[in-house]
Amino acid sequence: MRAARPAALAAIAAAILLALVPVVARGNITLLSLGFFTFLYVAQGVAWNILGGFAGYISFGYAAFFGCGAYTTALLWLGGWAPVATYPVAGIVAALFSLVVGVPTLRLAGPYFSIATIGVGEAMRILALNLDRITGGASGLNLPTVVPSKAWFYTAALVFAAVSFAVAAAVRSSRFGLGLQALRMDQEAAESLGVRTALFKNLAHVLSAFIVGACGGLYATYLQFAHPDSVFSFTESISLVLIALIGGLGTLWGPVLGAAVFYAVQDYLQTSYPTFHLLVYGVLLILILLFEPKGLAGVAGRLWRRTPLAWRA
Amino acid sequence: MFSAQNLISVGIAALLTAGLYAIMSYGLAIIYGVMKVINLSHAGFLMLGAFMTLVYFQLWHLDPILGAFLNLPVFFAAGWLVYTTLVRRVITALPIASLLLLFALWLVIQNVALAIWGSDDQSIITAYTYTALPLLGFRIPLTRLLVFGIALIVLTVLHYGLGHTYIGKALRATVQDRQAALLVGIDTEKISAVAFGLGTALAAFAGSLLTLLFSFTPDFGGSFQLKSFTIIVLGGLENLAGVTVGAAILSFAESFAVLFMRASLQNVIAYALLVIALIVMPGGVAQLMTRGRS
Repeated sequence: MRAARPAALAAIAAAILLALVPVVARGNITLLSLGFFTFLYVAQGVAWNILGGFAGYISFGYAAFFGCGAYTTALLWLGGWAPVATYPVAGIVAALFSLVVGVPTLRLAGPYFSIATIGVGEAMRILALNLDRITGGASGLNLPTVVPSKAWFYTAALVFAAVSFAVAAAVRSSRFGLGLQALRMDQEAAESLGVRTALFKNLAHVLSAFIVGACGGLYATYLQFAHPDSVFSFTESISLVLIALIGGLGTLWGPVLGAAVFYAVQDYLQTSYPTFHLLVYGVLLILILLFEPKGLAGVAGRLWRRTPLAWRA
Repeated sequence: MFSAQNLISVGIAALLTAGLYAIMSYGLAIIYGVMKVINLSHAGFLMLGAFMTLVYFQLWHLDPILGAFLNLPVFFAAGWLVYTTLVRRVITALPIASLLLLFALWLVIQNVALAIWGSDDQSIITAYTYTALPLLGFRIPLTRLLVFGIALIVLTVLHYGLGHTYIGKALRATVQDRQAALLVGIDTEKISAVAFGLGTALAAFAGSLLTLLFSFTPDFGGSFQLKSFTIIVLGGLENLAGVTVGAAILSFAESFAVLFMRASLQNVIAYALLVIALIVMPGGVAQLMTRGRS
């Protein structure tokens, strides 16, 4: 707890500072959209980490939840709902779908779970492409054109990121979080000590799917468009894996750091080399797996320990 | 739609595809069998094999079939190198570490290919690409027959090699029990490197053969990789002979499913089979049969 308190204070201070940005730079669309996408990735990376990092179940299939959320919001919005009201529903639909996926597949050992989630994710994308009456198929769905300001989206994404971070922090310090850590290290030992592994794994899955689904809803509102190949894309799935792994698997701050770096690099390289960022992350991931399994958070920790005591605040 | 004529022609098509599927998945099975590593870079080497075939074709007008055979030593060396420089370092860590490492390698290969060749569709047109042969009253594309024949020959040679050479026997022994293999004096470390080289070479070989049938992009390979997983899971993961069984099941399921559903949904069959097979029969089809007998 002693270490957790300054971290919580730092998180709150950072959130307040970031919340002031739209007040100061209301007209700076570039900055606000950079913030929007970064926070959206932070929210999702942190959520993914609840299952992937804390419990050690690496899923390559979160685009399925993102897509479910995006289409739930899209359809309800077209049906006359206010976008904000649709986000919890988007989360619930994604969470329910995560049960359908998770109950059978979370029984598999780690690597087989990963492979199965690739299958589920891709199957969902193809299904969405073919259910054209609901999803608009290959031409996508055009959504209402009346949307809130960029500053509103910035703040909404920041709220999502903050909530996601708070949930992950609460999970990590709870008995539930300890249970997840225990089952990651040794499933059978955890079970023999009374950890209800099946329940815990599914709970972690549902919780993170809810957040990612709600993020999908927010994303669809921002773009005013939903397309199966974009919201159900494999790239969306692997983005979350990369954010958490590059940032630091299983750490609280890792995915935050990872998402910030991820979107900044992507945004910087997008104009000249549309997919080049994936090459950068691929190389980074190889280096991390070989030399620093705790990712950027681990590197930051090392630098911190090297800093002379007098320099530390 | 369900006339005998139609069913037979679908059956022939399925059989021909099964040969391709078997050769495509064999490398994955060998690597999994020897070191229990799920090779997510399989798709990358499949795609790279196809592009190298294109390069040979453009440079020297080398026929894709000869290109496939040229790819064998080239990619054996590449696989050996990948194993000794990368995979070996994480193999003792958690199984997920090697999976993620090879996934990262896939990303790197794919995006290097994108940087070199761009995302346009590529294809190799040879003199015989559009030739069809009459067979039992059906017209069969020559390329499909060639791919099937070559796959059959290579699989036979491979089967013989695994059964009758020292390296082959040592490799199979390592698949069965790594510790015991080590105890009887097999250099399992070397066998692992050989297996990774062989698996990579076969992936690239299959990629070359695919250029005879399909056009390709750097994204090409992902769906074939998932199909390969389906096949080796159906075949029983550690059972090398099971690969052909898995390939036949998937190919027939896909081909006949098209009679009932949209062709664009065809890949869903493979993905659904993958998930179901992983959950219901981790030991593959063979396990179901033995369970039924006892």
